[in-house]
Amino acid sequence: MIDRSPEFRVKKGLGVTMMLLLLLFAAIPTLWALLLSVRAPDSIFEPIWESPLALTLDNFFKITRSDFPSALMNSFITAGSSTLLAMLVGVPAGFALAKSRVSGKFVASWILLLLRMAPPVGFVIPLFLAYVNAGLIDTYTGLIFAYMTLTLPLIVWSMWNSFAQVPDELIEAAIMDGASLAKAFLLVALPAARPGAVAAAILGFLVAWNDFFYALIITRSGTTTAPVAVMNFISYDSVDWASIAVASIALTLPILPLMAIANRYIVQSLSGAVKG
Amino acid sequence: MGSIELTAVQKSFGDVEVIRPLNLDIEDGEFVVFVGPSGCGKSTLLRLIAGLEDTTAGSISIDGQDATDLPPGKRGLAMVFQSYALYPHMTVRKNIAFPMRMAKIPRQEQAKRIAAAADVLNLTDYLDRRPGQLSGGQRQRVAIGRAIVREPSAFLFDEPLSNLDAALRVGMRLEISELHKRLQTTMIYVTHDQVEAMTMADKIVVLNEGVIEQVGSPLELYRSPRNLFVASFIGSPMMNIIEGEMADSHQASAIGVRPEHLSLSTDSGLWQGKVGVAEHLGSDTFFHVQVEGLPKPLTVRAPGDVELQYQDTVFVTPEKTNLHRFDSSGLRID
Repeated sequence: MIDRSPEFRVKKGLGVTMMLLLLLFAAIPTLWALLLSVRAPDSIFEPIWESPLALTLDNFFKITRSDFPSALMNSFITAGSSTLLAMLVGVPAGFALAKSRVSGKFVASWILLLLRMAPPVGFVIPLFLAYVNAGLIDTYTGLIFAYMTLTLPLIVWSMWNSFAQVPDELIEAAIMDGASLAKAFLLVALPAARPGAVAAAILGFLVAWNDFFYALIITRSGTTTAPVAVMNFISYDSVDWASIAVASIALTLPILPLMAIANRYIVQSLSGAVKG
Repeated sequence: MGSIELTAVQKSFGDVEVIRPLNLDIEDGEFVVFVGPSGCGKSTLLRLIAGLEDTTAGSISIDGQDATDLPPGKRGLAMVFQSYALYPHMTVRKNIAFPMRMAKIPRQEQAKRIAAAADVLNLTDYLDRRPGQLSGGQRQRVAIGRAIVREPSAFLFDEPLSNLDAALRVGMRLEISELHKRLQTTMIYVTHDQVEAMTMADKIVVLNEGVIEQVGSPLELYRSPRNLFVASFIGSPMMNIIEGEMADSHQASAIGVRPEHLSLSTDSGLWQGKVGVAEHLGSDTFFHVQVEGLPKPLTVRAPGDVELQYQDTVFVTPEKTNLHRFDSSGLRID
């Protein structure tokens, strides 16, 4: 039924206005960064209306000559690898937790939640000391494993939920049809839980991609990730605002297509895509 | 071949004994229906045969070979699930091909069998669709197709029709019966619907609380139920069970008489009562008659043209030859 009463229209109008205001509020920092990125560094704090057309792309060229591109690459390598490894371990783990009849699942879920919710600062001191001893400071391996402490619980937890939505009968049917458990998992359960798996991988990647804290502690010059590199534009005597703006845009851009995909799959995985 | 023999099979989940030790022989080519109320263990028994559950004790042999510890895929059985359990991401063709793919049957042979199954099941036009694009009846047929192509020694059906609407259910019931006639393969069929059991089975196994109450052909069960449970479970509408004085006069603790074995008269008869609700089916009318001294009304079948009004006085007389007598433990007295 479509409500066309004036009262409803006023309410709807108010709702839309509120939404637009909130959207604007959330978008302002990004818009501001966009604006900063195309202004000349020496006039960056002058009001925009004094020279509205004094725009430049120099900031973008300048940053390509800095360390930032290699930091961006480091981010890709570490976030990508940790997500891949965490998926390789976490997806079968989620399947096992969802479908096996072992006891102790409650304890497992409790530990997983704890790992997900505990602040990283709780782990970072022992991790740092262990890494110093193991020679993992400023290595990809070190950072990738550190990220897995973030991504793995997230992926196991969400795959557990995804696989729980796959009906047991589907897996039993595959087993009756002569599939081994491994084949039932790979050929039937995993495709059925695919939306959840895509969403989990993207969320895992974003957690690692956006990390600042672990990278700050574990990396030095060799494996600096992009969020830490942004901070390097702040020096003792000056702050390179234009480069920070460009860098933050470069950090955000790869996320946009991922969010578009994730959005679709998260909705799908929430609405039980297995039905049918 | 598809003979199945259960010997002292027992199943417990923790402390709960779902299947008490039981023996059952299923002969090659038989259509056997497991029937009983919810929670009677019929599905568990089927899953034990399938190998989806492990037996707690006892042994299962298929075609004379001990299959108790064989994994489900190696038992040569095909199963059709209540939810159809079609693989949602595969087309109908791939769904049907899946068991053959697992058995590494050559592609050409696969294609041949898929075409044959699709033809039999009227699925030829739907082979490239996904399960989500099919109706309930079509999904059911795909599930059956997936079972047929394996050429199993027996088919297992777990309440396959309960997700369909009433009209479709009758149609699919016939299709499955025809399939059985054509293939002559053993079928084990689980249902809680005694009409399905009566219409489809060569042999009915009535289960209650993990115990087999009776095994027999539909008419055997109908004509001589071994105990009160079977008597009241098989037959629709239910058999009238009468206890107390009226049963005492027949030297039994309970007597049972089916609605069609009671005759109705307005002038004279054995028991006097008043007409309650009438259920008109067209061909027949079932009258609920409240006989004096009985706690529950009796159901009486009358021809469809008999017209009686609510609260009319009538007389009900049971046919002597079709009276079932039961002793105090509920067992039949012959």
